[in-house]
Amino acid sequence: MKKLRILVVLPLYGGSLPIGRYVASALRAEGHLVEVFEAPEFNSAYDSLKDLKVTTDRLDYLQNSFLNVVSQSVLAKVETFEPDLVFAMAQAPLNHQALKRLKRDGVTTCMWFVEDFRLFTYWKSFAPFYDVFAIIQKEPFISELAAIGQPNAIYLPLAAQPDFHKPIDLTSVEQRKFGSDISFMGAGYPNRRIAFRELVNHDFKIWGTEWDGDHVLEPLVQMKGARVTPEECVKIFNASKINLNLHSSIQADELVTYGDFINPRTFELAACGAFQLVDKRQLMPEAFEDDELATFDSIEELSEKINYFLSNPNECEAVIQKAQTRVLSEHTYQKRMKTLLEFTAERIEGWPQQNDPAESFSVDYPPELAAEIQQRIGSLGLPENVSFTDLVWAVRQQQGSLSELDTAILFLDEWQKLYAKRA
Amino acid sequence: MKHYLVIQLARFGDLIQTKRLLASLCAKEGAFVHLCVDASLESLARLVYPDVTVHPIAAHGTGLHGTEAINAMLVDNRRAFVELKAIDFDTIYNLNFSPLNFRLAALFNPDRVEGYSWNNGQEIVGLWPTMAMRWSDQRRIGINLVDFWAGYCPDMIKPEDVNPIAEPKGGGIGVVLAGRESRRSLPLDILSQITSTVVSSHKADTVYLLGGNAEIAAGQSVLKQLPSSVQGKVENLAGKTSWDDLVEIVGSLDMLITPDTGTMHLAAHLGTPVSAFFLSSAWCFETGPYGVGHTVYQAITECLPCLETQACNYDLKCLNCFSDPSFQRFLVTGKPEHAPKNLLTFASDFDDLGQTYIPIAGNDPDAGQRMKFREFIRQYLMGNGGAVSDLDSLFAQRIYRDRDWITQPEPGSTLGL
Repeated sequence: MKKLRILVVLPLYGGSLPIGRYVASALRAEGHLVEVFEAPEFNSAYDSLKDLKVTTDRLDYLQNSFLNVVSQSVLAKVETFEPDLVFAMAQAPLNHQALKRLKRDGVTTCMWFVEDFRLFTYWKSFAPFYDVFAIIQKEPFISELAAIGQPNAIYLPLAAQPDFHKPIDLTSVEQRKFGSDISFMGAGYPNRRIAFRELVNHDFKIWGTEWDGDHVLEPLVQMKGARVTPEECVKIFNASKINLNLHSSIQADELVTYGDFINPRTFELAACGAFQLVDKRQLMPEAFEDDELATFDSIEELSEKINYFLSNPNECEAVIQKAQTRVLSEHTYQKRMKTLLEFTAERIEGWPQQNDPAESFSVDYPPELAAEIQQRIGSLGLPENVSFTDLVWAVRQQQGSLSELDTAILFLDEWQKLYAKRA
Repeated sequence: MKHYLVIQLARFGDLIQTKRLLASLCAKEGAFVHLCVDASLESLARLVYPDVTVHPIAAHGTGLHGTEAINAMLVDNRRAFVELKAIDFDTIYNLNFSPLNFRLAALFNPDRVEGYSWNNGQEIVGLWPTMAMRWSDQRRIGINLVDFWAGYCPDMIKPEDVNPIAEPKGGGIGVVLAGRESRRSLPLDILSQITSTVVSSHKADTVYLLGGNAEIAAGQSVLKQLPSSVQGKVENLAGKTSWDDLVEIVGSLDMLITPDTGTMHLAAHLGTPVSAFFLSSAWCFETGPYGVGHTVYQAITECLPCLETQACNYDLKCLNCFSDPSFQRFLVTGKPEHAPKNLLTFASDFDDLGQTYIPIAGNDPDAGQRMKFREFIRQYLMGNGGAVSDLDSLFAQRIYRDRDWITQPEPGSTLGL
């Protein structure tokens, strides 16, 4: 596939935000020119509207107006960057009006809906407006999408980012802070609260938010239940002997739900070379062989396996190796993006558009600068045969005042637009 | 010791009109002033601004193609950029609203750039040029470009210290054949008539026709249309003058007859009296000759000033005042009652803000409003308040926007001084 220009639209906040950053990084690693819409930078301004103490209709108006501005900002970026694909993460701030406009302008769009479609039903409103809709569940979601006018749904499970989710050496201080026999990193959903009460006799640390009000577990909650950064997650994964991975459920009566999708933690822990005990999922068999993960399907089994693996650390090592090998070969964001782009090319006629030779401008760089320009292309992480247009955009992404060479490249581009092409 | 850089990538006339800004910077104690221009104007810039360090770059489109162009853009420009980057400029005045200027600004910390800057890949327009864009629909009351550019510098020199008072130099009459924008120039038959009348009434012995290569044929045509008594005094120099020649000739003249051109600004710079013809998109209050001692003939039909980029739907009626037979008579007598309709004749003059023009024939319907606007701008630039006029609130609403003071200013967007 040709190298694409892709605009990744991040959400304002939330769980899909780090995934969006991994996506951008993976797409860059695949050689595409990626521009990121940094929606989180708008979030504090949006939040401040909620502190106004105004009537609800006013607040509603202000919030809609604000999100409209954010949406328009995405459109303005599309206009300037001219991407082959607008890649929106779940909860990306693109309203209906903006999506219609993109469709009208022939801009190909996709959303990666990394949410549980049964809990987060807003997909019914937005899904038909995207050209491609990637999801982490299969049936009946795919049929339901087709029924509301989204025929291009693709199952795209979550993954790991190997240059981030990796084994790391911890200092003794970090080991003490983040380490324990067993740990859990995640929010305090009802099923987890009940399940983990059985484990309080262990050296057990709980990390993450929404654990307050639970007198039994509260003493185990670390950092006073503060949000854990992705960097800290990797340290916890690496420092814990056993990482518990119990998929969330809002039901308290069924602790292990045997749900369909696989959470990102499963892939991230494996890539980190960390040992995990994970509850069985319907979609797990096609992602992992039985011996590649240590699983449980009841809390009793979880308890037994904790005791077993704490007493038999060598057993953990074998599983770790297999899980890591599988994830690194098949479950990386880079692989996912490749799959998604191939699917898009298959489903969307004429995509990606081939460059109009009249529009693309190739430059025979002056011999005295050729080596330096090639070096610059390399340092920008671009392929050697990068088009001049993409080189210009990559330079434009640089922060701060620019070097003489970068400035000369930008200057040449604008000069071409003003004079050479016109001529 | 402070270094200042002025980036002026536009044309001949714009280069000369940057003078008040450059002179104001040069007047600062311990100032080293630098000027970045298109390479085609390098020698002129050195002639006109001998106290300024000139940095030529390739910015214009003329004469460059293919490999040659890429070499100029990448190799030559990069060399120039290395020089510019190596100097610790206190302030960079980036004067032109052009993508090239924005890109060039990428070399510098945007906090030090006035005008048009570049901040992490985003083009940023400063407050002063933004304000100018906001008043661009009020061109009849606008201010002179020389003063506008000087407005970037809080302590600009007095307007009377910019150019010498214009006085005849004894070297005859110069006639500029055409400007860059054709509609702003007089048709050759009218120009020939005017030339003939002025030469006769001034009893001039020598007449130089001035222009570039593109005006050689125009020069020949004007020559043919002149009476034989005048023809013998005329030398057609179109396409024959270097910048040195032009400076020498224009600096020696008794008078320069011209539309709104770079040569007109050069004459004002040299203190040579100008008789300028303004019509179409040319409006003397924006780009008229700078200094005292110049005369401007400004067409004043209700459609003026128009935009050169838009077709004229009025059959170029702004030309009528110049083709009216009474105009030739008026040129000789200078009596207001002889002036044709739709013509305003001005003598150049100054007020506190800068260049202005006083009517010597005809009625200037915008004078009152213009005076109030100038006071409004003067207060903005100089910070010393006069009485509030009945139009101040209206001007403020047109020229300021809420975001100018509500939000954190962009680099170079200082509100007031």
